[in-house]
Amino acid sequence: MAEKIVVTSLGILSALGNGTDENLQSLLSLKSGVHTPTLLQSIHAHEFLMGEVAYSNDELSAMLGLPTGNNGYTRTSLLALVAMQEVMKGIDKNLLQSEGFAYINANTVGGMCAVEDLYPEFISDKQEGDFLKYVDTLDCAESTQNVVDYFDIHPFTATISTACSSSANAIILGARMIQHGIVKRAICGGCDALSRFTLNGFHSLKNVDKQPCRPFDNTRFGLNLGEAAGYLLLETEKSAKERGAEILAVLSGYGNTNDAYHPTAPSPNGDGAYNTMQLALSNAGLQPQDISYINAHGTATINNDAAEGKAIERLFENNIPLFSSTKPYTGHTLAAAGSIEAIFSIWALQQQKAWPNMNFTTPMEDVSVRPVTTLTDAAINHVISNSFGFGGNNVSLLFSKA
Amino acid sequence: MMKPVYISAAAALSPQNSFDADTLLPDVISSDNGKLFVKDTDYSKFINPVAIRRMSRMLKIGISTGIKAVQLSGAEKLDGIITGTGRGSMRDMELFLGDMIRLKEEALNPTYFIQSTYNSVNGWLAMQTKCTGYNQTYVHRGHSFEMSLLDAKMLLHDATEPQTYLVGCLDEMTDDYFIVKSKIGYWKKALPNSLQLLQHSNTQGSIGGEGAAFFTITNTSANSICSVEQLKMLQKPTAAFVQENIDSILSAHGMKLKDIDVVLCGMSGDARFQPLYTPILENTTAHTTVAAFKHLCGEYDTSTGFAMWLATKLFQEQSTPEVLIQKKGINPAINNILIVNHYTLNSASVVLMKKS
Repeated sequence: MAEKIVVTSLGILSALGNGTDENLQSLLSLKSGVHTPTLLQSIHAHEFLMGEVAYSNDELSAMLGLPTGNNGYTRTSLLALVAMQEVMKGIDKNLLQSEGFAYINANTVGGMCAVEDLYPEFISDKQEGDFLKYVDTLDCAESTQNVVDYFDIHPFTATISTACSSSANAIILGARMIQHGIVKRAICGGCDALSRFTLNGFHSLKNVDKQPCRPFDNTRFGLNLGEAAGYLLLETEKSAKERGAEILAVLSGYGNTNDAYHPTAPSPNGDGAYNTMQLALSNAGLQPQDISYINAHGTATINNDAAEGKAIERLFENNIPLFSSTKPYTGHTLAAAGSIEAIFSIWALQQQKAWPNMNFTTPMEDVSVRPVTTLTDAAINHVISNSFGFGGNNVSLLFSKA
Repeated sequence: MMKPVYISAAAALSPQNSFDADTLLPDVISSDNGKLFVKDTDYSKFINPVAIRRMSRMLKIGISTGIKAVQLSGAEKLDGIITGTGRGSMRDMELFLGDMIRLKEEALNPTYFIQSTYNSVNGWLAMQTKCTGYNQTYVHRGHSFEMSLLDAKMLLHDATEPQTYLVGCLDEMTDDYFIVKSKIGYWKKALPNSLQLLQHSNTQGSIGGEGAAFFTITNTSANSICSVEQLKMLQKPTAAFVQENIDSILSAHGMKLKDIDVVLCGMSGDARFQPLYTPILENTTAHTTVAAFKHLCGEYDTSTGFAMWLATKLFQEQSTPEVLIQKKGINPAINNILIVNHYTLNSASVVLMKKS
């Protein structure tokens, strides 16, 4: 990559807690945030374990100084706003504004979490009511616009939706816009709230496990859903040094490819994942043996883990890095997964630790590679974070030690 | 400034005869109910017969338009596919949501769920064209298509070899969507015939529309129709802000307003946004033709795609159909086109295109 892009501020809200401290502590203490949901209203809620954020919409609103009740903010937006509050603490807002920046958000179902309750009113004869506050919240850009309005900022804005790789793509776009000189900095990431729509969607695909999910395990049966928001502030190394900001990690490469194989399933031999990781390596000018840890996509679905496992086996051959999926901690947070796992990858570099792949007991039959299962100290200079989505969309991000 | 990119082929499915017709906009189609729907084509020519049976309308429209653009370009290999959509497949979303409510979350059909994913058309296009390269989907309301174009411009600016990207947009109007958005003033209360839309610019609201437009975009001017020189995306636009951006684009290219042969304006008949276009109607000299297009395609997030398809046709035909013209100019040829468009949710864009 031309100019060195670095990460200088983080914000995260997940089932592991609110903010970077709580999330990091949960990772270090091997504490999963996946449990039977108490907030999601669904007849299936008691059947499944999910990475539900612990705060109600009213509690999130209170954290933001917003009125409680039907305030027009969807849970999707509220999650985004709380995570963004933390990112914004890492930089002077006036400096951010005056030098030009982008806010690149990502999302899979917009404000569906609110719309699914109100839809009968939406399409009824009713012309008045609180539901009107939510009529423009279904699309994916609603949370993006709410962030811009809430913080009273005027960035270049964009929203991406490529299913489960959405926010990893947001990070790539932010980096490219900085490299093209379109903006000086970019805040990139994604947000998704649990919704009946999404739960029933994955349930109808028979992709959801009622037990804690077991990535890369032979007994894996599917994913646990989750919700989260995570954002990273990107800028050039030069710009970070100019303002004396602490550099948390370097985004040294990335890859985006498509499987061109099937609407929802990856190519079985992992071609897509292989190509994407290889592209990220060549983009960074690194070799497979330079990678010490992979934060895998590892959804614990039958197809993903077999394909991703094979791709890791083929690409890294005799130098298989430590790898794990952190989805058993957070659930699969869909559009937020790419950005929160980018944050976990950065912490792997900072802490010099590989996060353990929880719930792994039985190796997969047709793949020889094994995830790391204990919190492992290691010399980690470069990590890959994988995110793969429906529509064959594959993204790998490559972060290096600051 | 980024290098220009070149459009080598364009295809559009729209409420007009834009897909199969040999001439530009024959037999203009209108509507009296505030909704303009895409005029169907024979989708089986573009999609395999097994896959097409379960596909929703938006998928058929999007995929067919994309494949047609690739066919017209003669490109053997695509380097990537980039799509913008405000709403994706609305109907699939409505069906899955409706079933979920009606069937109380039991026995749901996953096909609707999968197809409602915003990047599902991109996925299908990648499969059909065997394109394993870059793949991206922007969902940013009135800038969804513009972001796709910007992305392609960035990729091609960096490319050291000839590359071709399939760039496009798709959005769908549904009866439910029309009802929902009618409650917050998207559409006119008293609906005129669509062809009369622009004569009702003193009241709030527009008419609903939809469409798909796809372009093969390259970094080589050879065999191209036109270039996309520059693109600006504006948020919360005011008339003055739009003018500033038009002026800055023109001066960056050493051009004067009279050098623009056609301005394609996104006036939607909505009194709230009409002021964005008033200075264009007033400032253009006798040289420039001012044209409009939303009375033909309706208002939707990615209507800039339809305008850009129209621009490619104007370059090729070298004449502007009467149905588009708001103010006729005297420039004899069509070499430079400016698109100025807005979307209801407070965004606007300006695009400068030049004939190759």
